[in-house]
Amino acid sequence: MGSVVRSALKAIKEKGLTSFVRELREEGYLSALLDGNLMQTKIHNIGATLVGVDKFGNKYYEKLGDTQYGRHRWVEYASKNRYNASQVPPEWHGWLHFVTDHTGDELLLLKPKRYGLEHKENLSGEGDQYIYHSKGHSLNPGQRDWTRYQPWQPTKA
Amino acid sequence: MAHWMKNLKVQPNSTSLEEARKRTFEFFRLACRSIPSIMEIYNLQDVVSPSQLRSTVASQIRKNSHVTNPKVIDMLLFKGMEELKNFVDHAKQRHHIIGQYVVGRKGLVQDLGPKDEGISNFLKNFYNSKYS
Amino acid sequence: MGLGLLASRTLLRSGKIQPGNFTSLLRRCIVSTTELQNAEAAQAQAQPDTDLPKRSPVGGARVHFPNPEDAIEVFVDGYPVKIPKGMTVLQACEIAGVDIPRFCYHSRLSIAGNCRMCLVEVEKSPKPVASCAMPALPGMKIKTDTPIAKKAREGVMEFLLMNHPLDCPICDQGGECDLQDQSMAFGSDRGRFTETKRSVVDKNLGPLVKTVMTRCIQCTRCVRFATEIAGVQDLGMLGRGSGEEIGTYVERLMTSELSGNVIDICPVGALTSKPFAFKARNWELKGTETIDVTDAVGSNIRIDSRGPEVMRIVPRLNEDINEEWISDKTRFFYDGLKRQRLNDPMIRGPDGRFKAVSWRDALAVVAEVIHQVKPDEIVGVAGKLSDAESMMALKDFLNKMGSNNVWCEGNGPNPNADIRSGYIMNTSISGLEKADVFLLVGTQPRVEAAMVNARIRKTVRATQAKVGYVGPATDLNYDHEHLGTGPQILKEIAEGRHPFSSTLTNAKNPCIIVGAGVFERNDKDAIFSVVETIAGRAKVVRPDWNGLNVLLLNAAQAAALDLGLIPDSGKKIESSKFIYLMGADDVNLEKVPEDAFVVYQGHHGDRGVYRANVIFPASAFSEKEGTYVNTEGCVQTTVPAVPTVGDARDDWKIIRALSEVAGACLPYDSLSAIRSRMRTVAPNLLNIDERQPATFSYSLKPESHQETGTVPFGTVVENFYMTDSITRASKVMAQCRTLLLKI
Repeated sequence: MGSVVRSALKAIKEKGLTSFVRELREEGYLSALLDGNLMQTKIHNIGATLVGVDKFGNKYYEKLGDTQYGRHRWVEYASKNRYNASQVPPEWHGWLHFVTDHTGDELLLLKPKRYGLEHKENLSGEGDQYIYHSKGHSLNPGQRDWTRYQPWQPTKA
Repeated sequence: MAHWMKNLKVQPNSTSLEEARKRTFEFFRLACRSIPSIMEIYNLQDVVSPSQLRSTVASQIRKNSHVTNPKVIDMLLFKGMEELKNFVDHAKQRHHIIGQYVVGRKGLVQDLGPKDEGISNFLKNFYNSKYS
Repeated sequence: MGLGLLASRTLLRSGKIQPGNFTSLLRRCIVSTTELQNAEAAQAQAQPDTDLPKRSPVGGARVHFPNPEDAIEVFVDGYPVKIPKGMTVLQACEIAGVDIPRFCYHSRLSIAGNCRMCLVEVEKSPKPVASCAMPALPGMKIKTDTPIAKKAREGVMEFLLMNHPLDCPICDQGGECDLQDQSMAFGSDRGRFTETKRSVVDKNLGPLVKTVMTRCIQCTRCVRFATEIAGVQDLGMLGRGSGEEIGTYVERLMTSELSGNVIDICPVGALTSKPFAFKARNWELKGTETIDVTDAVGSNIRIDSRGPEVMRIVPRLNEDINEEWISDKTRFFYDGLKRQRLNDPMIRGPDGRFKAVSWRDALAVVAEVIHQVKPDEIVGVAGKLSDAESMMALKDFLNKMGSNNVWCEGNGPNPNADIRSGYIMNTSISGLEKADVFLLVGTQPRVEAAMVNARIRKTVRATQAKVGYVGPATDLNYDHEHLGTGPQILKEIAEGRHPFSSTLTNAKNPCIIVGAGVFERNDKDAIFSVVETIAGRAKVVRPDWNGLNVLLLNAAQAAALDLGLIPDSGKKIESSKFIYLMGADDVNLEKVPEDAFVVYQGHHGDRGVYRANVIFPASAFSEKEGTYVNTEGCVQTTVPAVPTVGDARDDWKIIRALSEVAGACLPYDSLSAIRSRMRTVAPNLLNIDERQPATFSYSLKPESHQETGTVPFGTVVENFYMTDSITRASKVMAQCRTLLLKI
């Protein structure tokens, strides 16, 4: 604990207090005070190796040795206040869930360039605009007229 | 919204035509007051206007203007209330209201006037639908 | 080759172990049926039984013996079968009730014998034989069910599937694919091919046929169809071996009017319909067996629909009319049924704009106007696509209103409706195959009636029949002699001054076909009398042969003449005040007086609509039940396949309703009632699906004293793809015109 305080003091001395606080907030240390889940992740991170960072900024950690097997890989989400598992892109999913030992950066090299959609997190419950309405639903902005034939327009006369 | 409807129960029979008439107007007002929320529930803004719906309700009531038996009027009012409650409770779907009260309005306002008297069944069917 | 297999082979060769159960387990076998591994043993077991139950021929095929002495007997799986000489082994098997799998063999095309799928075993033959190419010999013992035959099929199927992509889920042929079906029935359950598959560049065959050439199995059916039946040398085979591919030698489109049929004959998904591509699966479709009305042939078709939409049109077998082909117009015009539809009754207001009104109002307006004009100022014109019922109703209605000016467009100002042989194809379409000399007068059958043209081509190909042609220079896809362009040539032939007249006289079954375009000419009677003179000289009309034909243009024409839709005089339209156009779009609307009241009843917003005062929306042929008579006098009915659009009604019902509103009520209000009315006028119209030959011939016709003109015959159908309101509304047909008619 003492070393943590010492390194914090050292950082304040180097960067000044305001930028130190800003960094604290950006790294999520402040929200971790209220968010036990994040706090536990932060504590876990001490001494772990950072395996990679994906393009969304999620950090992937691994700690071998004294960690219980099956809990030795985890992710610290880029977003500190609204995070969920769907933010993990597919290339990292395999590594994170012990499907493969290849890290996301390695797997990304195999991704075809010409097709393959960009990963999107699941935004269900995040507002009306993210609710899926099927084709033909009154709230779907797509096709409105479902007449199967095209009537003759008398205005052309 | 539907708080006043929660306590709905079958009212005692109207004793006179006057009372039944009063209840009819009450029902019409009730229906008119619930129209904005129905429009909201079923997303009807781009399909129909409140005044159109009001006139549909009115014509639905006028269709039975020849009924004079207070008991029958009570029964019709009850059925109307049932229908209204179904709509307000979202027990129906959008296409029900569109099919019955927006697109299918023709069937409601259609009156068999004197000009249709004396025409053959064929012509009646011809006017009514293409499937006959 | 697996390690185990290698090991077992070495062991076998060194004789260390006895071949037995152990090795047969190790041997990697492709043949799924176990007894096939030991062909000889299984063959010994399959002894033919002496008294077997009778089997019926495939598809109800009947054997026709042209010469009873030529009958030979062969044995198919032990069943004795009597067949005429010259039949192939495959046909013998079909008569015996055994369906042989095949890809390249097609009964209407020449035999190629290159797919090898039809291999069967023949006794005393060292190898399996390709049954489609092997003539059956007397006493031949054919075995279709033996292990050798099965193994041969499995082998062929494996080779075919070697280079066939496994893209059935995205293939339009999926579900109706011969390769799919036969690989299920005769193929193996696994393949041994692990290398990469061949791929072939797709060809652009135009707006109708989509090609995915990688799927092609080189059966060459399309090549043979194009050269033999369509008569265009567009398609061919390029390359050898695995580099073999079908193509158009140079980059060009397929310009035949029958090109759509290659879609049907292609056994795989290499040639599919472009307008139908990815639209539907065949098991979602509802098939309705009906007839085509875009020309006077009345081809038998099946309308495949899904819900309210016509998804595609495919031919139906009818040996007497269209065999199993249909023209491109018939097959692809269906998207016109969905465009430019009239869906509400409309009245033109005083500002010249149309307003949609209710049927009640529209009928009331017309009923009021029709009473304000004099009876002889009322004119009714039936359109090209009208059915007999509605024409009957129209004629009855206008007769009740006191007018007799009803006719059908295309029949000319002064049609001859009295003698039926004067307007139908007396030889019948299938009868054309017996003719040996053709004289085409003012008709280009290739564009006027593509199926009739295919028959003539078939005859010309089979018997080298001679064809003489009088009319503007045209491209008929068979050898023909262009005699001239005008009626003078006919006179020369009639007087025997022309070399072709001796060809006609020497012919056994001469056949004269006069185009319906002649109906519109002023010297029509004279031309017909010249043609009759030619017919008399060449003995074209005999008790056993009637070769004098008229080739009609439109589906409604024959029925209109049967029902007697003839005008009082040809000039009626100029003096009319009330014109009832029942789908008539090709009437000369400029002749209609300014103050005339025009009612247009029809299904498409086409030419007639723009002059109309009132529009009645009617249903198209795919949406109603109607009787049509084709050019050979065969009565057929359409069957509703899809519901009609909007507020449209059946044609005859509109007229029936109008008659009641106008106070001249017609005495029928159901389809059966109107048909019994038709029976009193033209009893032949009730004999559905039967060709009613004309009973009287030309000899009864009064003499004509008209002189033939010198005006050369014109081209009647300028644009094969767009002839009526439906085809003019079709986008595909418009594409065809821009892309194909230029060439």
